[in-house]
Amino acid sequence: MLRTEHLTKRFGGVTALRDVSIDLRPGEIHALCGENGAGKSTLIKLLAGVHPHGSYAGRIEVDGREARFRSTRDSAAAGIAVIYQELDFVDPLTVADNLCLGAEPRRFGVFLDRAALRARAVAALERFGARIDPDAPMGSLGVGDRQLVEIAKALARDSRILILDEPTAALAGREVDVLLATLVELRARGLACVYISHRLEEVRRLADRVTVLRDGATVATLTRAEADERTLVRHMVGRELTDLYARAPAVPGPVRLAVEGLSVADASGAVRLADVSFELRAGEVLGIGGLMGAGRSELLMHLYGAFGRRRAGRVLLDGRPLPAGGPRAALAAGLALVTEDRRRYGLVLAESIGFNLSLSALAAVARAGFLQRAAEQARNRQWLESLRIKAAGLDAVVGGLSGGNQQKVVLGRALMTGPKVVMLDEPTRGIDVGAKLEVYALVQRLTDAGCAVLLVSSELPELVGLSDRILMLNAGRVGGSFARGAATPEALMRAALGAAA
Amino acid sequence: MRAPRGSDLWVLLAVWAGLVALFGAFGPGFLSAATFGSVANRIPALLLTATGMTLVMVTGGIDLSVGSVLGLCGAVVGVTMVDAGGGLAAALAASIAVGTALGAANGLVSVKLRLPSFIVTLGMLEIARGLAFLTTHSQTKYIGAAVEGLGTPLAGLVVSPAFLIALAGVAAGQGVLSLTVWGRHLVAVGANAEAAAIAGIDVDRPRIWAHALLGALTGVAAVCNCSRLGSADPNAGVGFELSVIAAVVVGGTSLAGGRGSVAKSFLGVLIVATLEAGLVQLGASEPVKRVVTGGVIVAAVLADTWRRRA
Amino acid sequence: MRRLVLVAALAALLGGCQPSPPKPAPGSAARPKVALVMKSLANDFFATMAKGAREHQAAHAADYELLVLGIKNETDLAEQVNLVEQAVAQGAAAIVIAPADSKALVPALRRAQQQGVVIVNIDNRLDADAARAAGLSAAFVGPDNRDGARRVGLALAARLHPGDEVAIIEGVTTAFNGQQRRAGFEDAMQSAGMKVVAVQSGEWEMDKANGVAANLLTAHPGLKALLCANDNMAIGAAAAVAAAGKTGAVQVAGFDAIAAIRPLLADGRVAATADQHADQLAVFGIEQALATLRDGHPAGDRATAVDVVTR
Repeated sequence: MLRTEHLTKRFGGVTALRDVSIDLRPGEIHALCGENGAGKSTLIKLLAGVHPHGSYAGRIEVDGREARFRSTRDSAAAGIAVIYQELDFVDPLTVADNLCLGAEPRRFGVFLDRAALRARAVAALERFGARIDPDAPMGSLGVGDRQLVEIAKALARDSRILILDEPTAALAGREVDVLLATLVELRARGLACVYISHRLEEVRRLADRVTVLRDGATVATLTRAEADERTLVRHMVGRELTDLYARAPAVPGPVRLAVEGLSVADASGAVRLADVSFELRAGEVLGIGGLMGAGRSELLMHLYGAFGRRRAGRVLLDGRPLPAGGPRAALAAGLALVTEDRRRYGLVLAESIGFNLSLSALAAVARAGFLQRAAEQARNRQWLESLRIKAAGLDAVVGGLSGGNQQKVVLGRALMTGPKVVMLDEPTRGIDVGAKLEVYALVQRLTDAGCAVLLVSSELPELVGLSDRILMLNAGRVGGSFARGAATPEALMRAALGAAA
Repeated sequence: MRAPRGSDLWVLLAVWAGLVALFGAFGPGFLSAATFGSVANRIPALLLTATGMTLVMVTGGIDLSVGSVLGLCGAVVGVTMVDAGGGLAAALAASIAVGTALGAANGLVSVKLRLPSFIVTLGMLEIARGLAFLTTHSQTKYIGAAVEGLGTPLAGLVVSPAFLIALAGVAAGQGVLSLTVWGRHLVAVGANAEAAAIAGIDVDRPRIWAHALLGALTGVAAVCNCSRLGSADPNAGVGFELSVIAAVVVGGTSLAGGRGSVAKSFLGVLIVATLEAGLVQLGASEPVKRVVTGGVIVAAVLADTWRRRA
Repeated sequence: MRRLVLVAALAALLGGCQPSPPKPAPGSAARPKVALVMKSLANDFFATMAKGAREHQAAHAADYELLVLGIKNETDLAEQVNLVEQAVAQGAAAIVIAPADSKALVPALRRAQQQGVVIVNIDNRLDADAARAAGLSAAFVGPDNRDGARRVGLALAARLHPGDEVAIIEGVTTAFNGQQRRAGFEDAMQSAGMKVVAVQSGEWEMDKANGVAANLLTAHPGLKALLCANDNMAIGAAAAVAAAGKTGAVQVAGFDAIAAIRPLLADGRVAATADQHADQLAVFGIEQALATLRDGHPAGDRATAVDVVTR
């Protein structure tokens, strides 16, 4: 029904997808598994027509004929419907309005035919027995119901191939059951479905076959019988750890950061971290692992005073409670953060390298509020060189730099404050191998100098290679804690998935 | 924020020089000390408020109430000097105090209550104008010689003390923006408030203070205005906010925040005022003046954006 | 007569929420409500007008109720139209209006008249053609702006020599009274043999007029006089003359005789202005309206005095 042959997709110098061939049969649920960054999203985007024909090598076939999607519309016309994690609805409109959005039935060409619209919506929802009020405002629906509406919308357009990207990531238990039951029923009617999920238990319950991707390539396609949890994890992690990440083990110093029984809720009151405790010593790297949404970034942002409300627990820096007062107080106390989303939280893109480097440490080069330009220039130049930032000069605009150089600017800004504890959130995401190695070297330099490092990374080999100890988070809780030797990728993955160790 | 370099300024300087040359060619008597004197002595209020407005707009805010606050501060000057018998110093102090208070109120309400400054200052526009009418009982106050000193051209010079004060204000404003830690914070907050907060910058206070500073400068501007006219008109400054914003935007300051230059706003004011003077001297009618002024504003902004892209 | 009863009933009905008038004579209707709709109450001229009207009402409290309404600024036509509609809604028996625009108010006033409201036009005369086309009949009570301006111009010309260059700073170009004043200035200058070298709009505002005057003074170094269509603009122009160091050499004339202009008249920086007796303008209008309500037939136009003031 749907087949890809030797799909290869490159972004600049990075190969996101390498020679991927999968096939999908009518009445089949085909699961895609892999670590973050394994190429699942890229594959979906090719199938959805987000990356048009011509931008990739290989073939996509629908019903035995080559499909050359130029846009998402072509893909939809071929019967493919992609249901993303983030669903776009017009919240103030009703469910029925949203179902027919863009294809509203009209009367006399101009007037909205409300009766026809509602009838069409009811029919679409009833096709798979979804119990959702078509007149309810979209915004009043929970995430699970919103997903069902999205599926109804796809069916209303006569889609025959559903692609679901981590549909259960944000769902509660009962909603998951409803969704899975819906998918099983749709399968019985001959629909084909590509199902992407980190939850191996769901995959095993649902999928007829599982394809595992790693580093953009197909590792294996397994039948349901073959796909036990252990096998899946082995295929997902797969590789041997190389010397690339090797860091000399630390000689741990005194405890720098102590987190005790920390529980944190977000602005809407939902608990994002529950009973998290750990210690971080001078000269040590503590790795924080886990899947997306496990609470890794939330942990760092909360320690930095930029996220959530503390429900319980305390945080001590050098034995003293970390002062409240947001990032300013955290920085002053010696805690620095390099955020995951550097373009949004890390940089003033329209400004120069010098502007960004200096931003957190202006006081040191100012007298009575006036900047000492010469001193500032000299300091910036020093950092530019020691971080080996490749740019025309300090005046180069940061927005024009490569990802790696941008990341070095963010690192420089954080380190210029002379922190005792450095928190790095995905410090190597989206940067090339050369820059990655420099980041690793920098981590080594920091710990040699007695800094303590808290490292969040989705790349298991990186996490294992750099960390002295690793804490795996699972749904806001500590899923497991591993010493350097004990942290096998399989064990980490199982801890992240919440499976018994 | 980098100090504006020659290359940042030359487009606007060229536009201004072009206008002067154009009017000089068509209007006999335009190229005279008297013309430049009359332009210079007319713009102190605009210069001072444009300086403050640039700082506010760099932080990503806007103040629509400057015209009304100018009217109110003028009314305060009138009441202080005519009804309370105060001197110029007392009037100046009262005017700055009122301006600062209203500016700070704009800043506090918009920043702390997370309301767009566009909306908050729109409300202040009405409030301040109403207060201006209330304080003067809607009557123009004739102050006379006591206030005129600032607005009268200096002996031997064609420009007034008010113009020199305004120039000092422009220089100080540019200095604050490009030479101080606070100025750096203004730019960072306006360009990317989230990143600024993560970088450990207090993102609220710079915005509040920028509004308050604009208020204070508006207070000084009101005194300059009164001294030029010898009287306080509670209707003064109706529509003034648009002139200020136009001049600042012509000077290349972004409405979205994060980018701006007081020095370039100065040139923006100069361009708008020269245009006005030239058109009157050519005898252009009111509608023609408006059409041409609007066209030049758009053209100047286009020229500046074009240069930035090139 | 039927209309009067209807109006009175309407007024009584809508005025029901107001405190009732003191002891109405048995059988007589409630006091009629007269709405005075003006331009900007922030303008001295109209503030004086409102004051005069309030004093008159206080002296004749038994005869009528007064409703004083004003707009935000001189050019806010839509707001004034709203005020007219508001006055009708509040049960006004008569509207005495100083229109912000000579034409734009006509439709709203006609609607009011169709609902039985008596309309009296003061200060700025409604455009005759527009009113006739709309079927609006409104008595006009007000000064002859053109004649007043002509006489101010002549008073000024007495200080000039034939052939001198003069310039006119007019008001908002669309306002009828502004046009009349400009025409009156031009009449005077022509008959006195002066040369009008420029006419520019100061939009009734002090600051605008100041800028215009400053530029006129540099563009026309031989300028001997600036004729301004109101006093606010005259104050602005006088300041520009002083800034150019030409006090005494360039004469300034205004119109309206507001309080703030007196010191300038006293020391000669402003040569002449016209007193339209703003306080009485509204009073005459109200009296005209009351007469119409009483007699049941429209009263005729009434010209009010304009006096030239030179000191």
